[in-house]
Amino acid sequence: MTLVAGLRAASYGVPFQPVGGVHGSDLAALNGWQTVTDPYGSGKEVYVIPAIAPDIAVMHAAEIDVDGNARVYGSPFWDHVLTRAAKRVFVTAERLVPTDVLRAQPELTLVPGFMVEAFAVVPGGAWPGSMHPYYDVDYPAVEAYMKDEPGVLEAHLAAAPEKQDQQQENEGRKGKSEDAKEIQ
Amino acid sequence: MSTWTPSSYIIVNLARQIRPEEIAFSGVNSTLPMLACLLAKRAYDFHYTYINVAGGVEPQPTKIPLSSSDPAIVAGSPAIFANQDFYDLCARGGLDLVYLGCAQIDAEGRTNVSVIGSWENPRVRLPGGGGAAVMLPTAKRVVTWRTEHSSRVLVDKLDFVTAAGNMATLVTPLGVFQRDTRPGARFRLESWNPDFDVAHIARQTGFAFDAAAARPTEPMSVREREALAQLDPEGRLSGG
Repeated sequence: MTLVAGLRAASYGVPFQPVGGVHGSDLAALNGWQTVTDPYGSGKEVYVIPAIAPDIAVMHAAEIDVDGNARVYGSPFWDHVLTRAAKRVFVTAERLVPTDVLRAQPELTLVPGFMVEAFAVVPGGAWPGSMHPYYDVDYPAVEAYMKDEPGVLEAHLAAAPEKQDQQQENEGRKGKSEDAKEIQ
Repeated sequence: MSTWTPSSYIIVNLARQIRPEEIAFSGVNSTLPMLACLLAKRAYDFHYTYINVAGGVEPQPTKIPLSSSDPAIVAGSPAIFANQDFYDLCARGGLDLVYLGCAQIDAEGRTNVSVIGSWENPRVRLPGGGGAAVMLPTAKRVVTWRTEHSSRVLVDKLDFVTAAGNMATLVTPLGVFQRDTRPGARFRLESWNPDFDVAHIARQTGFAFDAAAARPTEPMSVREREALAQLDPEGRLSGG
């Protein structure tokens, strides 16, 4: 939440952001967070968090058009504040769609294309995480990755969706992401 | 022996903290509170509002994910109330009951989720507060839980104070502790798991506590048992 406050300060274009709570936490001294007293006379003392402006925000969207308008279904989590706070925005997306798809429901576009510097269409790009509504968390892949033994990272990378697709293409079979490729 | 497992004891006693008409919230890495909130919807007749960290309001998931922040938990929600929305709701005093985790907790309900050892020279670097420093002082009541009840978890002095404030309840496999949310108030033992006794709990606890009014924990009701069986039919999350 203090991180969100810092990102909000950057997105609002101000040097710091007041935030509720924090009183009694060692994090304040550790991070050098200061308090201000309400200048409007309530007497309340409020912590203020300095602005955090990431150089680059990278987010994964459900759909994107050629202009970089990016649609997210379900909860936006931190994508909204991150893309507003960052100096540059890069997007990956599950699939490319015609702009008319976005025009039909513009309220689902989380990031307008003018804010997006570059994008790539990456089917399965959230793996082993989930991408609503396309796929769920791949729990077996996460559990395999958490083992502390040699070769785990290599096995994890080899199990990625794009590697599986490559392998299937090499073997001349149909890949799981055939639909997405047709749209491209 | 009772029929409690350590996990079922925690889940049901977390669920019992919810009061009618409250707005309750469960966060990341909080599978037991997530199950508690879903259990309360099935086992108790009163209305309350459940908000989940994945952005779901009153979710009706068709499957219970292993992760409490899996978007699958949002299924059936009539509204999305995402990350910043529920933090803001808490900060302005709109969350009645918040489940927040801890690595260490002291008698006054302060929590450490930052570091074991010193900050400069840690033995274990922990994941961090995830909003705890804002939520613990601003939620009306906070409930926490630990699957390990030991003197390295329930400590006399925290290695680091990540958050302090309105901690009300601590549930472990051994018992349920309550405290008033005013500053300086200490945990007292409210009830204990009948598979153990108060002397054992005192030996396992790093801080002194009042047990004068404590009694054995009420057994699982038929409806609590049925709800848990519906939510976790294979005992994957509540069996151990």
